[in-house]
Formats: sequence, structure tokens, C-alpha cells
Amino acid sequence: MTNPAISICRILLPALLLSACGANSVVISGSFPTPNIGKLPIDLAVVYDDNLLDFMYTEYSETGQEEYYIQSGQSHIQLFNAVLPAMFDNVTFVDNLEAAADSGADAIFVPNIEEFQLALPAKTRLDVYEVWIKYNMRLLTAEGAYLADWELTSYGKTPTETFLTTESAINDAAVVALRDLASTFALSFARVPEISAWLANR
Amino acid sequence: MKLFDGVAGKLIPLVLMLCAGCTSTTVDEFRQGETGIASHETVVILGRRQAGNRETSGDFVDCVADRLAQGANGLGVVPEQEFLDAMFPWFEPRTAPMQPEQLARLMVEEQVALTMRDFGVRYIIWVDGFTERLNRQGSISCTVAPGGAGCFGYGTWEDDASFRSEIWDVNNFNDVGTISTDASGQSFVPALVIPIPLIARVEANACQRLGDQLKDFVIGS
Repeated sequence: MTNPAISICRILLPALLLSACGANSVVISGSFPTPNIGKLPIDLAVVYDDNLLDFMYTEYSETGQEEYYIQSGQSHIQLFNAVLPAMFDNVTFVDNLEAAADSGADAIFVPNIEEFQLALPAKTRLDVYEVWIKYNMRLLTAEGAYLADWELTSYGKTPTETFLTTESAINDAAVVALRDLASTFALSFARVPEISAWLANR
Repeated sequence: MKLFDGVAGKLIPLVLMLCAGCTSTTVDEFRQGETGIASHETVVILGRRQAGNRETSGDFVDCVADRLAQGANGLGVVPEQEFLDAMFPWFEPRTAPMQPEQLARLMVEEQVALTMRDFGVRYIIWVDGFTERLNRQGSISCTVAPGGAGCFGYGTWEDDASFRSEIWDVNNFNDVGTISTDASGQSFVPALVIPIPLIARVEANACQRLGDQLKDFVIGS
């Protein structure tokens, strides 16, 4: 696993850099339930890519100024750490593909964020804050060969009147989107055609 | 000045208080099945959140749930978030059943059936709706000066709440009825030095009437 000192630096360094700027920083945080579903008989190794760990989205104002920095890497890790052990018989979290190959797992899972979009009421004229995230999910064999590569999208919204600050509204919309990711991922994983065929041949 | 202290001084607050209570609520019930609930059975109130530009407020759902649980004949109510977390990922906006037939298919899942049984849920009540703020008028300006501070002006708006609830019988997988409630009311904020908010409790009234009607409906009275 990642060195704790490195993890702290990953969070603190961007925060320190951002504090010098005019834009507001939002670090997504929330709690996520574990899926209430049957476990798949798979021994899974999970690799979190640096792109996911350090993921940050920048929202620009209509005049092109940086308006919000949204850091959601750690919340995604928290989500996958809650969801994956409930979906598979055995889950090992490793630092890289080499360590995953050495772990003796049946398959290696590598999630990643491809795109992040934020819709603010001031721009859309709707009474909701919206977050839309597109993911690329990869499943590899223990040797690192291709098993499946698929896209998932998640969506979350939250009404304007409930919240006092834009930051808390963005956070809540993102947490709803993460919950949506978890539900879609949990229910659709075994239905991905390549995974379904792989499971049938095991 | 004496006139203000006399008749007008009594009439103005009275008129304003009466206007603050200007909320009209209508409830419409449609029954299509027998209902009744045993002491060990519970209900769960869930907000519909599938619409694109709005969603049923969690506060309204909690308010209706509290109303059902209150009183001598209060029902056992499973809190919405507790139910959604325990049932995750089956009752999320993208995965929740939209028809009782879909609930029947969902109950084939062992984990769903077990969790439903653990909670003792007999009825699922889906609440869908929102409160809209319309016709905002007037303005209030406030000033701070060395000698003091004060506001002057007048503001008014109308709130319009419209909620529809569907009651599903979990034992028989059927829709046993629908109860709708519409409430509207005008709020006023006159400001003569101090702003006096006279707020129409539109959503609170809608919650109260819907909650009471749902309770009677589920009990079967």
C-alpha cells in the first residue's frame, strides 16, 4: 500500500498551493454504504492509478477565471474500498500492476476517471447543482492481459434551497454521483459481455 | 397618531396575522385495494428522485414519516436513509422499482427479501412532488446610520406545494392507492423599521394533511 507520508503530501500539497489562489477548493467527502448483493467468486487485485488518486477538476467562470477546484480522488478510493470487498470473495489493494501480478489474484481491476462535469445553477438557470462523471474501468488477467475495458457514467444532483454554501451543494451532488457509480457498477459488473463470458468459462 | 394607536393599531396586526394563515390545502384519495397493518409491521416513506430538474425533498419525506409515527395510533416507520443504505444499491434513483411488478421481480433477490423482512416492511409509500415559489413582488431596503438602523418596504410571494404518494403493498406486490395533496399560500414581509415575516406554512400544511391521510389509509379506517 501507499506510504502514509506520501498520502498526506498528496492531500496537503495541492491544498497549500490552492490556498494561494482566488478559487475555492472543494474536497469531496461523504460516507458510502456497502452493497447488499451476493459476492462473486473472484480473487481480485485492485490498483489505483495516480490519475485517480490525485484527481482534481477545475471549474471556470464565464469570464474564464478559475472558480472551483474539486478534489475527488480520495473520495473515490473510499468508495471503491467500501464497495469492492462486498462484491468479491477476496480483494487485495496493491500499488502497481507488478505487485498485482505477484498477488496471485484471478484478475486485476484498474478504475479511472475520464471526464468530470459540473453544472451550477448560476449558469444553467436550474434550481439544482449537477455533477456528471465518466469512468473507464479495466479488468486484466493476473498476467496483465486484457479481459475487459468498459465505460460507466454517474450522475448526481442536489436542490439549491437545501444548502447554505455552493461548496456544500457541490459536495452533496458529487456524493450522490459517487453513490450512483457504486450502484451501477455493483449491478452491471457481471453483465459486461467480456466479464460475463470470462466468468462462464472459469 | 391617535388613530394609529387606536383602531388601525389593532386592525393592522390582526389583518397581517389572518393573511399569514392564508394557506389552502386539498387532499385527494384514490383507493384500489384493502389495507391494514399488524403491530409488528412497518412502513417506509421514500422520495422519488428520478426527475431531471427537481427532486422530492428529503425534509418533506422525513416530515411525513414523523407524522405517520406520531400519536396514539402511530405506525412503525423505517427511516428513509436507513432503508436506502440497507437496501443499497436496489433503491437508488437509477435502480429503484417504478411499478409494483418490478418490486416483485426485485424481491426474488435473496438479500432484498431478507432485508425487507428484517425491517418488517408491509407498505412502501413513494412520495413525488415539490414546492414552487411564485410571484415574488415588492422590495425592502435597510439603512444603517450613526443614529440607528431600520428597514422599510414590503415583500410578498406565493408558495405552491404539490405532492403525490403511491402506496404499495409489499405482501401482495400491488398498488393499493394514491393520495395527492396540493397546498398554496401567500407570505408577506412588511418592514416598518423591523421586518415582520408572516410566512405561510405551505409545505408544513401539505405534510401534515398528507401524513394524517396516509396514516388513516394504511390503518384501513
